[in-house]
Amino acid sequence: MIRIQHILKEFFRNVYRNPGTTFSGFLSMALLFLLFDLFWVAAQTSDRFYSDLISDLQMEVFVAEATADTTLPEIQEVISGIEGITSVDYVSRSDAREELTALVGVDLLVGYDTLNPLPRSYIVSFASDLLTIGGLTATEQKITAIKGISHVYYSRSWLDKAEKTRGVLQNVGMILGAVILLAVLISSANNMRLMTRARATGFHQMRLQGAGGLFLAFPFLFEGLILAGLSAAAGWLTLFYAHGKVEFTQFEIVFPTSDEILIFCALAGLLGVASAYVGIRRFLKL
Amino acid sequence: MSDRTVVNLSNVYLTSDRGFEVFQDLNFSLKAERSAIITGAAGSGKSLLVELLIGRRFADSGSVEVLGEALNKPGRRRIIKRVRRQIGGVGGIFALVPSYTVSENITFPLVLGAARKKVRKERLMKMLTEFSLLKQAGTLPQRLTRVEHTLVQLARATVANQPLIIIDEPLAGLDQKTYERIYEYMVKLALSGRSMIILSGETLPTNFPNTDRYQIMNGALV
Repeated sequence: MIRIQHILKEFFRNVYRNPGTTFSGFLSMALLFLLFDLFWVAAQTSDRFYSDLISDLQMEVFVAEATADTTLPEIQEVISGIEGITSVDYVSRSDAREELTALVGVDLLVGYDTLNPLPRSYIVSFASDLLTIGGLTATEQKITAIKGISHVYYSRSWLDKAEKTRGVLQNVGMILGAVILLAVLISSANNMRLMTRARATGFHQMRLQGAGGLFLAFPFLFEGLILAGLSAAAGWLTLFYAHGKVEFTQFEIVFPTSDEILIFCALAGLLGVASAYVGIRRFLKL
Repeated sequence: MSDRTVVNLSNVYLTSDRGFEVFQDLNFSLKAERSAIITGAAGSGKSLLVELLIGRRFADSGSVEVLGEALNKPGRRRIIKRVRRQIGGVGGIFALVPSYTVSENITFPLVLGAARKKVRKERLMKMLTEFSLLKQAGTLPQRLTRVEHTLVQLARATVANQPLIIIDEPLAGLDQKTYERIYEYMVKLALSGRSMIILSGETLPTNFPNTDRYQIMNGALV
């Protein structure tokens, strides 16, 4: 109990005696966390946007000319049975002609009333986890292996580009995130180092009285925990405040859940402890 | 009177940072409830002796035993910590913590010993009264006079009933009135049954109770 009292007392003493260092440390960490939060929200929002965009992606499966109409229900059933396929809609020759007419505005097949040259096809939709180049390539192979299918079509090159762009953005985001967290670590560690240096004589005396390294370090570790945790919370509060002031109509901004934010603040606190440890370790010979 | 040995140094050799031999075959023993006054010229090794006794420096050879613990090797941090908590230090390297008030400095050994608040409060009041420091209780060390510094250090050195007190140059440069006041407290401590090691550059009065006198000469205690 007395140790807890000592830690709290020393923590407040540190803050009281070094308000400038504490405040600048808090501010720089809050700004860095705000930047990190912005990247997080941007990543989540773009992820949602990407998911919405590709959720409409469908595959057209064309039936071979020689395939008899009687086998079509059986083929549809086989396609429906493939894992990840959510719906299979049959498009007959006449349906295709109607769609073409609706698309172009004129019936281009006048005179082909008895022999409609348009192919029969199926429109296949997928579960969201299958909407990747890898997933669709595997499904394409399964479908083309079915007897009676001539070929399939989907926007492969578009999906490929979208997926690569998303990958690049994710990698850049991760690197930037890591750089920001490293900056928090260094900033907080330097802060703690300055504070321990300011109290060097006192620590030396406490050591001579028999104080251990951890006894001296705990207030700083606690300070790291509190400052980093509060900075992280301040970053989120600023972001929510700004979001409340600005309206976005083009797309929905996706924020992490409150649980995720709480966990993030707790992890930020642990990062603060780690940075305090890095900052004082050599000085207090821990 | 107890027969317990509080400090025992035998065949201690120590080389200083500058490379000359400070102690050569130094032997010294202090029994419980006895005091030792060690005098020596400047640079004779008095401060190095203090550093040996608190595990801040280690002998090149020989054995250093303080309060039953051997302080021969570095890296025995737990033991050194335990020994230091039982030693009250005054003067020399034992300064006050600048960011702590007089009260906080005095009670620091009790905080380290995890004493209860009630005990801390009682002991603090006793010390403040005994050393006439009630008015200075909330003062920071930078605002204290030299004598007040020494009194606070004496209070800190005794507040947790530390069995060994090391006093380094307690009376150097003091005016007569202050000298008498500090000397009176030291006599009081010697009579209270504490073991004390007093290191001084000047000869102290001969009427100091329960005391053995030594002089550092040519790297040994005589």
